Amino acid sequence: MEDLPERPLRVLLAKLGMDTHTVGVTIIAHALREAGMEVIFTGLKQTPEMVAAAAVQEDVDVVGISTLSAGHTRSLPKLARLLREAGAGDKLLLAGGVIPEEDQAFLTEAGVHKIFTMGADTRDIVTYLRGWWAERQAAEAA
Amino acid sequence: MSDLAADVLAGKVAAGARAIRWLDDRDRRGAELLRSIYAQTGRAHIIGITGPPGAGKSTLTDMLVAELRRRDRRVGVIAIDPSSPFTGGAILGDRVRMARHTLDPHVFIRSIGTRGQAGGLSRSTHDAALVLDAMGYDIVLIETVGVGQDEIDVVNLAHTTIIVGVPGLGDEVQAVKAGLMEAGEIFVVNKADRDGYDATHRQFELMLHLRANSRPDDTWEAPLLRAVANRDEGGGEIVDALEAHLSHLKSGDGFARRSGRREREQVAGLVRERAAAAVLRSAEARALLDAVGARQLDPYSAAEQLLAQWQSGGGQAA
Repeated sequence: MEDLPERPLRVLLAKLGMDTHTVGVTIIAHALREAGMEVIFTGLKQTPEMVAAAAVQEDVDVVGISTLSAGHTRSLPKLARLLREAGAGDKLLLAGGVIPEEDQAFLTEAGVHKIFTMGADTRDIVTYLRGWWAERQAAEAA
Repeated sequence: MSDLAADVLAGKVAAGARAIRWLDDRDRRGAELLRSIYAQTGRAHIIGITGPPGAGKSTLTDMLVAELRRRDRRVGVIAIDPSSPFTGGAILGDRVRMARHTLDPHVFIRSIGTRGQAGGLSRSTHDAALVLDAMGYDIVLIETVGVGQDEIDVVNLAHTTIIVGVPGLGDEVQAVKAGLMEAGEIFVVNKADRDGYDATHRQFELMLHLRANSRPDDTWEAPLLRAVANRDEGGGEIVDALEAHLSHLKSGDGFARRSGRREREQVAGLVRERAAAAVLRSAEARALLDAVGARQLDPYSAAEQLLAQWQSGGGQAA
């Protein structure tokens, strides 16, 4: 009992900018909960500053951003920079939603680790996160 | 002292956040850290906020943070939501109602899942409160999960507990169950602009009157307040009452006594948990548990045999 580490993956989910479509992010939140993860939902209309502050206070492992309106080419790189400046650059930064193909290389370069576009299967997201988490824990144990 | 402990004591947010994570995850480094900060704790006013689901606890917490900030207090918030008993996962959504405080450097909000603990709190809640206390927050607000009649562990943890009720949950007695009325030092009827407020208020008044009659030695008279938290109404009166209760505790030995009771209970809890783990770890224990499962042995006899084995082994787990 005492020797077993209990480390559920902690994931912050937020929506940046003015769009108020919550269906996608809600489905993902439930899928991650079903997969045994702790999802911290911070709500709509978040700024990069708010997401970075919440990610630090909550000490999450993963920051997932849902974006369905334009503006992600500015807000996501800014969030990546704020996380690095807060000493939280080791957190996995994911983006999902409507993100045109031509923006993806730029965003990856700017510090977004992985992008899931519209129609991504929640099971693929869970598999990806579990794989990343297993690698991270193995690296920490080594 | 480790760098992290020094950073926690210096109030650094990332350090405090990591310390709470370790304690929540039961990482051994958490217990080591607590050792170096514990002497610096015991200063913060720890306040519980509890009530049935739908009473508006998060919104009320948000309003209290705003009022406490107007009075220049530094505030830590621990917001607890239920973890799934099946998957262990959780959706922790209390921050949504507190978003306006996210960028305030004197407010620290942490969402915590119950992770299998009953009673309205998580196992790590007390530890998280100690970390926030060590970081220098004047006030630690603990918002429990929505509770029923007896899930009131927060009463043992907090110096002051606010019981939040609400009109319109059906039968008035259901608005706040009788068990909740026995606990708590401050009572609030939230959503007081709703139909049914007068009836709920009367019901609360009656229960508090009966409670006062049955406790002639009680020197604290629990106030009954109204609030409409989503319109920011009533926060001033609640914080006045919190300050009055703190003065009341400090006028005697109540503040230290409550803290001491809490810490003693935690020690007892840790011993119970670890002793049980040690006793149950052996191969013999597993065999006995299997025998109970197969109905070859009853639970009482199995427990006695296990404890006898453990004692004859000098208290060492086999």
